[in-house]
Amino acid sequence: MSAALLLTDSDDPIVADAARHIPGWELALRPAVELVAAMDALPEARALLIGTDDPTLIRAAVEGARLRHLPVILACRDDTARRRALELRVDEWYQLPASMDEIVARVRSAIGRAASFSADLAERVEKVELEEMLYDALTGLPTLPVMIERMRPLIKARGELIVFYLNFVRYSKLEEIYGWEKLDGVLETTASAVREFLDENAFRSTRMMVSFTNDDDFIFFHIPAAGAAAATDTEIIELARGLQQHISRRLEETQGDDIAAMFDIYVGYAHVYYNPKIRLERLIYRAIREAANAAKSVEQRERARKVTDLKQLLHDGAVYVDYHPIVATDTQQIVGFEALARGVRRSLRSPEVMFEVAAEADLVWELSRLCRMRALEGASRRLENGQLLFLNVDPHDFADPAFGELGDVDPRSVVIEITERTAIKDYPKFRERLTGFREQGYRFAVDDAGSGYAGLGSIANLEPDFIKLDISLINSIDTNFIKQNLVETMVKFADDQGAQVIAEGVERAEELETVKRLGVHLVQGFFLHRPERLAPIPPPENPSAATP
Amino acid sequence: MTDAAIPVRPCLLVVDDNLDNASIVQQYLEAKGYDISVAHDGDEALVCFERIKPRLVLLDVMMPGRSGWEVCRLIKQHPTLGRNVRVIMVTALDDWANKQNALQTGADDYITKPLDLSDLVARVQRNLALVSPVS
Repeated sequence: MSAALLLTDSDDPIVADAARHIPGWELALRPAVELVAAMDALPEARALLIGTDDPTLIRAAVEGARLRHLPVILACRDDTARRRALELRVDEWYQLPASMDEIVARVRSAIGRAASFSADLAERVEKVELEEMLYDALTGLPTLPVMIERMRPLIKARGELIVFYLNFVRYSKLEEIYGWEKLDGVLETTASAVREFLDENAFRSTRMMVSFTNDDDFIFFHIPAAGAAAATDTEIIELARGLQQHISRRLEETQGDDIAAMFDIYVGYAHVYYNPKIRLERLIYRAIREAANAAKSVEQRERARKVTDLKQLLHDGAVYVDYHPIVATDTQQIVGFEALARGVRRSLRSPEVMFEVAAEADLVWELSRLCRMRALEGASRRLENGQLLFLNVDPHDFADPAFGELGDVDPRSVVIEITERTAIKDYPKFRERLTGFREQGYRFAVDDAGSGYAGLGSIANLEPDFIKLDISLINSIDTNFIKQNLVETMVKFADDQGAQVIAEGVERAEELETVKRLGVHLVQGFFLHRPERLAPIPPPENPSAATP
Repeated sequence: MTDAAIPVRPCLLVVDDNLDNASIVQQYLEAKGYDISVAHDGDEALVCFERIKPRLVLLDVMMPGRSGWEVCRLIKQHPTLGRNVRVIMVTALDDWANKQNALQTGADDYITKPLDLSDLVARVQRNLALVSPVS
């Protein structure tokens, strides 16, 4: 049986690569003027990819292809070309330069769509679903079944491969805090960082893919180049470390320090030796399980190490505090600061990580106490003219007898932030405590408000002075009308209750403009101010320097 | 990115299992100058979506088979078209949980039933203004 042809006039080497990566396909390259004749001469052509800029030639080729029911993909150099693609109703187009993965996806999608005109509806839907399963929408990476097919001949020839399993932790936490749009962005950054890293590395021949669509685990296949030895354990450990650093750096650049600090990656690996008696799929699935287990045990080791780090941190008091300004939306005057505690040691820099480890080791009270103490120390020097200190407090902390010790800070300048996410078990008792603190002059803010399905009822219960909107509601609020509606509702509610709404996570001018228009009273975010630091972070090699 | 010069009418997909509702919306929006395609259930909507590549989908939540939520999620996750389409959910409920649901599925806007047709056009316009003209 002859192979299906991708007929093209494009001599872009990436197009040739793409054709090689569609199983059973070959490339036929003809000059643009000969495309129409070539369609007759090559009946095995299944799709036409046009690369030329010449509008007359494009039009002729598209018309020729239409007569022969051949799907057309147009490579577009600029906006004019894109408009032409639209005008001519080609089946797919892509913008140059394009990656191989994108070209493969465009060709597949064009063929799929062309086939569908005659296909039965149900079958067509099934096909859409199947395509979804084979390529991850977000990262553009192939999934396992595609990958095994692509690698089969290589594995047979080389006789061995190494499966890497990369387990990214805390991505679900990230989604909980920032919303799914942010996580999508982080996954994209991660995938491209991994690709970059492997390209510059000795592991060039490594193939990457995602194991399950939309999940946050990645699997790589590494097939040693012909004649070269497989990677040694030392090289693999080095690879894992380098990869972690590279991804962290990229995340820091594109998504900010807070997100990068939450990120951890655990790498496990397993060898597969080709055995003609055993099905390749089975060998590979076994190796993936083995590599996943290995990643898991690395994770457990790391967690144990972090608990030790935390105990050391508590002993040395090695926590510092950043103060993030909160400003009035109209005057942009600073009305207060949110205290953000961070670990001096790099592995515990992120507050989410620090408190997660503390919860595992039953050290939450101690850690909270230390963070509060540090925040108050700095605040007594920082607050001026009635500015407020916003302190994150876990409802359990109220039960801590040491809670009310403020040093020389006036309770009237302290706002206690309680997250909406915490389940409060004993409401009457909790309210009683709130009243007690209120009488001493403390004010209250509901943090992460509006993130869940609960709506306004649970917020009203706490009678807050401030309502801090969940970051996910602010992210891209300028283009999402549902978010705008929810925030508007919240502002009306706050006005009725005599509370003020704070928009957290304002990162762009458009977001600021939108929350301003919606009547949000106060804003906090990188677009206006970055968190301020009183003193440089003490070097982690000498954590005791943080103790006053 | 100014594409005002090309005479391409924006293409919209209306999805509603109620034939009367769908037809009213179709006629009204066509009179306002939009090209309208109609689908009557979720599966049909997905097929139409890939074929006509609309810039905006008006999607009823309550449908037999695939719900509007599921269809919205699949549309927004589409590998090539998902990034450049706006989805307006049509829902009977106007409560907080329902709007959160719409956010989770990736919807951009929502409108409540019974439809106020002039409000509908306003929403269609404000969403089309945010999507790039080439789909």
